[in-house]
Amino acid sequence: MYDLKVVVEEIEGFCDMPMEIGDYFEVKGGKLIIPEGKHMCIWALQSLMTIIPAKQRELAEENDWIPYTKRLTCPDPEGRVIFRIDRMDPVTGKKVEATEKRPPRILVDEDKCTGCRSCETVCSFENNGIFTPVYSRIKVEKDEEEGKDIPNICRQCGDAPCVKACPVGALIRDEKTNAIIVDQKKCIGCKKCTEACPFDAINFIEKREAPLICDLCEGEVECVNICPTEALRFENGGGN
Amino acid sequence: MNYGYCQQALRINLSEGSVKKENSSEDFLKDYLGGRGLNIRRLYDEVPPEVDPLSEDNKIFIAVGPLTGTLFPGGARVNFTAKSPQTGILGDSNTGGFFGPELKFAGYDQLIIEGKADELSYIYINNDQVEIRSADDLQGKDVFKTQKMIEKEIGDSRVQVACIGPAAENGVKYSGIFCNKVRAAARTGMGLVLASKNIKAIAIRGTKDLGAIDTEKFKKMIKEFDKKIREHQEYETRVRLGTTQLVSSLNEKGCLATRHFQTGYFPDADKVSGEYLEKKYKKKEKACFSCTIPCSRFFEIDEGKHKGLKSEGPEFEGLAGFSSRVGVNSIEDSLKAVDMCNRYGMDVISTSECISLAMELYELGILKKEDADGLDLSWGNSEAVFTLIEKIKNREGLGGILADGSLAATEKIAKEAKNLAMQVKGLEIFQADPRGIKGYALGLAVATRGGDHLRSEPWFEFTENAEEGEKRFGVPESAFRLEYKGKGKVVKFYEERCVLADSMEVCKNTLVNMEIMSFKEAASLLKALTGFDFNEKEMKKSAERIMNLERAYIVREGIRREDDVLPERFLKEGLPEECGESAGSVVELEPMLDEYYNARDWYIETGIPKENKLNELGLEEIVKEFRKREIY
Repeated sequence: MYDLKVVVEEIEGFCDMPMEIGDYFEVKGGKLIIPEGKHMCIWALQSLMTIIPAKQRELAEENDWIPYTKRLTCPDPEGRVIFRIDRMDPVTGKKVEATEKRPPRILVDEDKCTGCRSCETVCSFENNGIFTPVYSRIKVEKDEEEGKDIPNICRQCGDAPCVKACPVGALIRDEKTNAIIVDQKKCIGCKKCTEACPFDAINFIEKREAPLICDLCEGEVECVNICPTEALRFENGGGN
Repeated sequence: MNYGYCQQALRINLSEGSVKKENSSEDFLKDYLGGRGLNIRRLYDEVPPEVDPLSEDNKIFIAVGPLTGTLFPGGARVNFTAKSPQTGILGDSNTGGFFGPELKFAGYDQLIIEGKADELSYIYINNDQVEIRSADDLQGKDVFKTQKMIEKEIGDSRVQVACIGPAAENGVKYSGIFCNKVRAAARTGMGLVLASKNIKAIAIRGTKDLGAIDTEKFKKMIKEFDKKIREHQEYETRVRLGTTQLVSSLNEKGCLATRHFQTGYFPDADKVSGEYLEKKYKKKEKACFSCTIPCSRFFEIDEGKHKGLKSEGPEFEGLAGFSSRVGVNSIEDSLKAVDMCNRYGMDVISTSECISLAMELYELGILKKEDADGLDLSWGNSEAVFTLIEKIKNREGLGGILADGSLAATEKIAKEAKNLAMQVKGLEIFQADPRGIKGYALGLAVATRGGDHLRSEPWFEFTENAEEGEKRFGVPESAFRLEYKGKGKVVKFYEERCVLADSMEVCKNTLVNMEIMSFKEAASLLKALTGFDFNEKEMKKSAERIMNLERAYIVREGIRREDDVLPERFLKEGLPEECGESAGSVVELEPMLDEYYNARDWYIETGIPKENKLNELGLEEIVKEFRKREIY
């Protein structure tokens, strides 16, 4: 098991405890140790508690986010005190970095989306040579009156329902990029994956009887590159 | 698969209920490029002078260009063209948004709508299927509601709708065609033409393949253009403020249309500026189809009497039209007025001109309170502005007079006030004072659709670079806004840039104002896209051909040099002291016109294109026609 050091890294809002940048506590086995004269906010602690036992342990679940996530925030929407959780070697007391870096995925900030649909056009054109966004793996749903523009794209779910739903094993996770890749030779066009996706992020092309799923363009993510407002980013969530 | 062009037009005859597909040849497309060019060619051929704009014989042409629907940044545009019921000459208006690309995806470069439907209807085009559907339940519905109801009826959130609002149904001369709620092809009364055909809306869904013949080259070129745009010195301001930046920048120059052009300086400009809007109510940037310069914005007012008002927009023309032009110093009131015009489907430029004209006539005592339906039309009375917008939309009382446009309104209110109508050829002019920007002044006077700035946008006169002026136009003064020399050449140059933008159907922000593409690059891009053998020389010639054809169209309608004129105030009254550098300036129109006609190779006395110019452009048949009609 690892020891943990949990440090206040950033304060986005206003904290009246106050927690201050640099404040920390340690977790050693079953004990939580706060340096003398310091304190810890119980509201922040309760939001961190669930992950603490998990971060102490070496997890071997496929595509799990916990080993790679470092930053967590306090639950007060006005406070937004951000804590960084470091794993420490219990013998040497030194910080242990995750050995493998989790590959990035496409993150969406819909408040920044202009609704221009460049991402759709470039996706369709780069992958199919066709501008018509019918072939796009990303879709922007728009509500013009409310000013809402919501890009929808594969989230590379940890426990991907589409992979499990495929009856012929045509969906595999790319080892390098973590993207879901459709083996078009194996695919029988049964649409099970499309129905299984909880985000409606699979674009099933009826006339080709084939699903289109974001394959992260082998890391050259043109939709992210073209987005002028950083509504799309190619990064890891959780500060990694 | 279509490559840039679909090479197909769709002709819908509402009287016969017939639908016909017509092929367009490579030569025809190369000669007229697309969009605005295709439309003027057909308008010239199919709508002669004898046609009454509001009769069944008028036709409306809706065209996209080769770059519409592609990855070219801002390739979102579409032109609506008909004989204008507002001006009686060329009616032509252009908008961005998402309607144009959808038309292209449905497989058409152009729609031609002719005849008249028996009852209020809307046209639904789903790729090859075309239906004329009843619009009974849409009668009187505003633009927002109409688009929403059609989307719901069709059951597809991706359907794109172009529609008219109640203003067009009620016969307002300057009613427009609106897409994506606020994207307006608002000029020259194209909405009224649709209304006269009993068409409330056109809904399109298109899923056909559109590609580039040389995918790799096209991709490479697009990346280069995109880079040029993002590295352009204006990029950041355009994203932050878009056209709304003009409120403060024109005011600083002393040429912001204020109180109906009584002055060019509005002391409260900082309360109605783009910067103020950004700080106070802007929620995020918005953009047209596939555009990487999000110059539009979404705003929401979260306090005061207009709390809850939210929308995409406004552009500079609406913002200044309902603030400085009418003396209103509340940005919230200005936003409200723009929103009303959008929902009713009327042009903000013409509406704000008609209201500010009424205010000036009221101030002068020419328009009495009892003739103004009891309204107090003092400058800055925003309640009166709202009431007048409502009345114009309904054509009630004074609104009924103003609904015909400012020139027609002066004829009814007081003939002696005719010179106060701020229009050219019946089309109201924009929110900048021509006296402070003389190239624009000339552009307004000669624009083929009447008093409009978007036919030339000679921004070069802001550069103040004498050396460049000498290099590009042979006249150092051409780079200075308060000088008149060289402006004939500048306007000719930018008119052709605008033709290029409007015909390829890309945004003028990039193509005209940022000048990111030369004719040579345009030819090479279109070649990679379409496979047609475009070259620089022929493309320049095509742009000049389109310009001359538009001029020939209005000449055939009776327009001559004496119509290429500006309202008297701009020629005789200098801008007041408070206008800084622009103070005392008037427009030296006549020498600019001489230079312009010379640059164009048109007859100086009449403004008619010379026979050899038309022949050189391959328009020999017009020379013959003009002889027959005794125009020569």
